[in-house]
Amino acid sequence: MKKVININFQGRVIPIEESAYDMLKQYVESLRRFFADEEGRDEIINDIEGRIAELFGESLKKGSTCITDDDVNHIIASMGRPEDFEGDEGKVQSQLGGDGQKQQSTGGRNYESATDAPPRGRLYRDENDKILGGVCSGLASYLRVDPTILRLVFALIVFAGGTGFLLYILLWIILPSKPLTNTSSTKRLYRNPDEKVIAGVASGIASYFDIAVWIPRLIFALPLISGIILSIFRNMMWDGDNFPGIVFGSFGGTLFVVYAVLWAVIPEAKSASEKLEMRGEKVDLNTIKNTIQEDLEGFKTRAEKWGGEVKDRAQQFGQEFGQTFSHKGQQFGSEVGGAARRGGSRILRAFGIMFKAFFLFIAGVIAFALLVTLLAFMAAGVGVFPLKDFFLEGFWQNFFAWSTLLLFLAVPVVAFITWIIRRIMGVKSGNRYLGFTFGGLWFIGLICAGILAVSIARNFDTRARDKQEYSIVQPATGKIIVKVPDSKVQVYGRGHWFKMDGIMNMTDDSLFLNNVKLQITKSTDSVFHISAFKYSNGSNEAVALNNVKEISYGINQQDSTIWLDRGFSLKRGTRFRNQSVAVTIQVPVGKRIVITRSVNRSLNYFHFNTGRNDWDFEEEDWSTHYDSWSSDVEYIMTPGGLERVDKKDKHTDNDDEEDQSNAVEKFKKSKEELQKEADKKQKELDNLKKELEKPIDSSKYHYKKVTSYNLAPEIIKPSETVKTNDSDENGSVLDYSRFMQMVF
Amino acid sequence: MDIQNTQSQMRKGVLEFCILSIIRQGEVYPSDLVERMKSANLHILEGTLYPLLTRLKNAGLLTYRWVESNSGPPRKYFVMTDKGLEFYSELERTWQELADAVHTLTQPAATATSDENQSQP
Repeated sequence: MKKVININFQGRVIPIEESAYDMLKQYVESLRRFFADEEGRDEIINDIEGRIAELFGESLKKGSTCITDDDVNHIIASMGRPEDFEGDEGKVQSQLGGDGQKQQSTGGRNYESATDAPPRGRLYRDENDKILGGVCSGLASYLRVDPTILRLVFALIVFAGGTGFLLYILLWIILPSKPLTNTSSTKRLYRNPDEKVIAGVASGIASYFDIAVWIPRLIFALPLISGIILSIFRNMMWDGDNFPGIVFGSFGGTLFVVYAVLWAVIPEAKSASEKLEMRGEKVDLNTIKNTIQEDLEGFKTRAEKWGGEVKDRAQQFGQEFGQTFSHKGQQFGSEVGGAARRGGSRILRAFGIMFKAFFLFIAGVIAFALLVTLLAFMAAGVGVFPLKDFFLEGFWQNFFAWSTLLLFLAVPVVAFITWIIRRIMGVKSGNRYLGFTFGGLWFIGLICAGILAVSIARNFDTRARDKQEYSIVQPATGKIIVKVPDSKVQVYGRGHWFKMDGIMNMTDDSLFLNNVKLQITKSTDSVFHISAFKYSNGSNEAVALNNVKEISYGINQQDSTIWLDRGFSLKRGTRFRNQSVAVTIQVPVGKRIVITRSVNRSLNYFHFNTGRNDWDFEEEDWSTHYDSWSSDVEYIMTPGGLERVDKKDKHTDNDDEEDQSNAVEKFKKSKEELQKEADKKQKELDNLKKELEKPIDSSKYHYKKVTSYNLAPEIIKPSETVKTNDSDENGSVLDYSRFMQMVF
Repeated sequence: MDIQNTQSQMRKGVLEFCILSIIRQGEVYPSDLVERMKSANLHILEGTLYPLLTRLKNAGLLTYRWVESNSGPPRKYFVMTDKGLEFYSELERTWQELADAVHTLTQPAATATSDENQSQP
């Protein structure tokens, strides 16, 4: 049972099933569209409808009560569907004018010649095709160029200098707007939404220039990839100094911006006709049909490919974050875009697109930053490589270290580069399990890293100490000067970015650490003693002690100068186990010691706190140990402790000491000067006092009597205090300030 | 190469000429025209015909008159104009030349494949 409606068709009332009516309406609509540009369009439609009405009449006369679906289908079949119509090239010959030639255009390229006829026309703004104000579009149609290209030019001008923007506004105001029909069907630059990695910019460009899709993609991604690869090579091959510094490079950065700009400006080829225009093919119903068919087929394969790709992505840990971010960015962008479209404002849509570009750009940056971190770790591994033997012991540790390096660090990098290249090429992921493999390998690498860490930590379990006494000749002068010689060994390390010169040096057969600490303490007897405490870690006590014994640290004596070794060396068999040396110089009371700057400069003591502190070992009283001093200053050991010979304040910081002494000198001098002034003033005051005893003449003297009297007796006091020359700085400072207050 | 395309092109080339020749013989209305062509084994869709007729009319080669019908809406009866007649004569000449040329060229292929160098008198 179907609903029947009456329609007024060509002046007659026709009863027709509602579904049949819908079909009929659609058919007439399609005809309308097909003949949209035809000159005699209305007449043609009318004729066709008339014929249809005639056929309806016949059908009704044959006895049916209404027109059914079948009738309509039959009629449409006999009339023909628009895409089956022949002679549509003849559309162009609306103006025959005696020229009976038909222009057969086979490809899009020749089509332009057919549209030579329309006159140049005036310059308008295009109402129908506008992003902001239709300026570019109108200008483009006047100049017969692709409006997108013009928009790009405008965008460039705006970015290069603000004048472009003003120019645009000016044109917007001046030019009248008129709804221009799209007269030219030149090849237009669109973004291709079907073949897109991020936004189809690259594939749209590829279509426009008729080059393979991966070429523009490669151009965009090239700085990124080349930067990564170059920086890796640079570190492997020669001692490059600026490791992650110029990975990106300013060129790559601008390419990102260019991409975003292109994204915002180039419109997306959504409809089939736009897609045809993008490819430069003739826009008519035949080609539109082909395009739609292609789309449907392509969609299926793309869905498969996309499914595979999604699986791969889910496995790649480092990029997961970036992906979710970009997904959200895309969703957000499309939502914003959708909202803007619904709102109907073109400006909002442009902003929406720019937001989307920006979000994806940020997501890309984040993903890239993660990648850089990974690369940095890898490079760090490469840089520390020469030290490997000093850390790792035994077969298993080496094994774990290698596997960590390969799986944990190298795998994500390789995976990422592979992913990029595959996306650029548009290659379908052949191996579904590739992602699984990468993820699994990386996870194994993670486990290896963990095992390695634990294993190394165990090697540092115990800390042992050994004491070594050095025999020295007591200096005749009763004073010891402590120095450290300059580096005798010329070593340079690989990988300068770690700047390990201060901590250790390396030759081929030994490692040289200057993890040495110097401390001064009071001697229990009346002679100098120098001893060294050597510390080391180890996996158990025996190993630790053994390691300690392997430390060789020596001193040299030259009259009263003690030369401390720059550091201690480890033979190439021993491992780094946080070995350290604490040299103790015991100074007897009454004797002196000078520590030169070379000591502080050369001996860098660092200490990894591994749970047990060194002072747990010590039995002596640490409070009398001094491990900070002013360089090049002579100290004397007194019963109360080390004191400076020149009786300066030894508690304050070393370098300020000299400045302070200078300041003290200066202030002493100024005190003397002021004292002289004070005497002068005193004399003046005495004179004044005498004068005041004479009869007062107010016209002569203008000072206040009261204050002058108060001043006079008090002024004598500071001179007394100034004379005592004691080393109590604080007291004299106070007096000085009081003095200043009084005088002025 | 899509043969359907080529075939379609060939048909399109002669379509106008055929239609004009039918109309030349007397006034006719579109669906009748379709019938006549069908009987001559040249099938055409009505949807193709109407635009073509309109174009020809707009070019001044045809003209029509309305004829009321008791069994339906009024029909357009097309008839040729003088201008159309001239146009038709030109086309006829062109067609003749074309037919001869094609005939000539296809002649050697029709006979045995022996002598290609032989030129036909």
